[in-house]
Amino acid sequence: MRMSDVFKLAFKALRDRKLRSLLTILGIMVGSAIILALIASSSGLSAGIQTQVERLGANTLTVSSARQFFAGGGQTTFQLSQQDVNTIRSFQGISDVIPYYSRGATISFGSSSIQGMLIGVETSALFKMYNGLSMYSGSLPDSYDPSAAAVGYAIAFPTGSSDQLTLNQMVSISLGGSTGSLVFLVKGILSQYGSVMFSNIDDTVFISLQSAELLLKTQYFSGLYVITNTPEDVTTVQQKIESYYGTQVRVMSAGAMLSSIESITSQMTVFLGSIGGVSLFVAAVGITNTMFVSVMERTREIGILKALGYRPRQIMGMFLSEAILSGVLGGVGGTILGYALSFIIGGALPMSGGFGPPGQTRSSTAFTPVFTPELIAFSLLFPIGVAVLAGLYPAWRASRMNAVVALKYE
Amino acid sequence: MGSLALVDRESPSGAGLAVQTIGVTKVYRVGHIDYPALRGVSLKIAKGELVSIVGPSGSGKSTLLNLIGALDAPTSGRVIVDGIDLRKLNQDKLALLRNLRIGFVYQTFNLIQRLTAIENVEMPLIARALPEKTRKSRSLKMLSAVGLGRLANKRPTELSGGEQQRVAIARALVTQPTIVLGDEPTGNVDSKTTREVLNHIVQVNKTFGTTFVLVTHNPEVSNMTHRMITLKDGLIEKEQYLQRMDSYTGS
Repeated sequence: MRMSDVFKLAFKALRDRKLRSLLTILGIMVGSAIILALIASSSGLSAGIQTQVERLGANTLTVSSARQFFAGGGQTTFQLSQQDVNTIRSFQGISDVIPYYSRGATISFGSSSIQGMLIGVETSALFKMYNGLSMYSGSLPDSYDPSAAAVGYAIAFPTGSSDQLTLNQMVSISLGGSTGSLVFLVKGILSQYGSVMFSNIDDTVFISLQSAELLLKTQYFSGLYVITNTPEDVTTVQQKIESYYGTQVRVMSAGAMLSSIESITSQMTVFLGSIGGVSLFVAAVGITNTMFVSVMERTREIGILKALGYRPRQIMGMFLSEAILSGVLGGVGGTILGYALSFIIGGALPMSGGFGPPGQTRSSTAFTPVFTPELIAFSLLFPIGVAVLAGLYPAWRASRMNAVVALKYE
Repeated sequence: MGSLALVDRESPSGAGLAVQTIGVTKVYRVGHIDYPALRGVSLKIAKGELVSIVGPSGSGKSTLLNLIGALDAPTSGRVIVDGIDLRKLNQDKLALLRNLRIGFVYQTFNLIQRLTAIENVEMPLIARALPEKTRKSRSLKMLSAVGLGRLANKRPTELSGGEQQRVAIARALVTQPTIVLGDEPTGNVDSKTTREVLNHIVQVNKTFGTTFVLVTHNPEVSNMTHRMITLKDGLIEKEQYLQRMDSYTGS
């Protein structure tokens, strides 16, 4: 038999039982799509988190008070003050300690309104905190000017809006609660940067530390950026801070976060991948079931094929090719579906809230799924392999059927 | 597909014979009870002969036909088809023999319903891996020969019983077999169609010298064969020569 004939006949057989074939293929598709989407999303998530964390810099630590809650200034047991800045500055290996205030904020001008953040920080330290950040236009606000602000790129140039912010224009910032809204004059616009430690710099308004202290009516910092002399100092400094403050503060470094994130995401990949595996297994059972029913129904046809001189191996090949064809269609369909699905997951599951340092959790950052050629090949070929295995036994049974009995089958 | 040349021919005893059975028995076992269907049948059918097998239900007619058609193996005895002892063939060789030498026509037509008439006729040629063009032209020629050229792309459900049986005949003949086996080939068609089908059989038999073995209940069928073999309780009860072969084949 020619290969082309085998598949033509298989296609006709599948087409003859459209609904059943479609449902079988759908089962395979879902399995393949889930594997592809979940693995691509989780590696995308993992890659996204890594970039963000790596931006923090190898010689940077963040210190925040433990158990601090937000929106409306929830109670905490411990709060960071200028005294703590001085204490940490006195440790060995420290290059700088940069305190900051941060609040979730609604930033608006004209018809544009963005959910973002307000950060108060010594503006001269801004470029030390964010490696590679630069001015798009204008300059950083002076520390003594309480109405001056620098805004992130996405605030100045909001997507999907024709309104654009220019220098010396006013922005209104609402912190929610009873604070009312504050108005700032835009003195500088920052270049496009992205997210660091789960907060999107492009959605942030920066004001000077002094202004923030004044406007927020607080002396307690949201957190401290600690910069060590060398990356090697990070571990010892972290230990020193932790032993000094105990559980009152949370100290995070890029390296420590990376390793814990890696272990979480790799576990997640295995977990999500096995969900996909289970669904493909279910699909395999479905194929086997469909094939058995098909072999039963076509018993007489198998008898005819035998009478016409088809060898057992040819009959097995004919039935197996129906399973393979289902696998191919399911694999291709599943890969396309999974590709689309992973972007939906990527959009619906933004990295927001809960992970980052307190006070920086308002803004969210979507991630892009990662498709390696191996993953695509896997999601195309694995369903075919599963289909072959699932179809093997029913096809073998078909080939072994007794011709005389099969021809009498009603 | 390979060739049957690999198989030893029985000679010289088998020369000129399409079918020979020697002391053939067949016992079906259901549970612990044996049902003897054939109890020692020996017969010879010459090439070009048109033979009918008649007898009451359960006399072993269909069983004998299945043994000759290499669809089933006898419990004991030998079946020799076109000089080839079937005992010596494995499953693949038996399939090859059926494909190359034997055509089947059934009472219930046994067409594949999802395929068109011409696709059904093509089926035995697909097993031979013939190119599609060759297959199509041979199948169409054969369908035209049975008067169905214009219905080649119809499915069995769109055809009458008689038309379906002619498709089945075209499928049996498209391989140019040595022998065609018919199990009640006119059992499901009306008397007019029966005559049509018989005319085709007689014509093919005359023109190509194809051997026909027809199991039938219908005297109209058996009356136009060369020889009528009557089975009873798994044994040959009598054989009647009705017509001389050469009177048929002309010459």
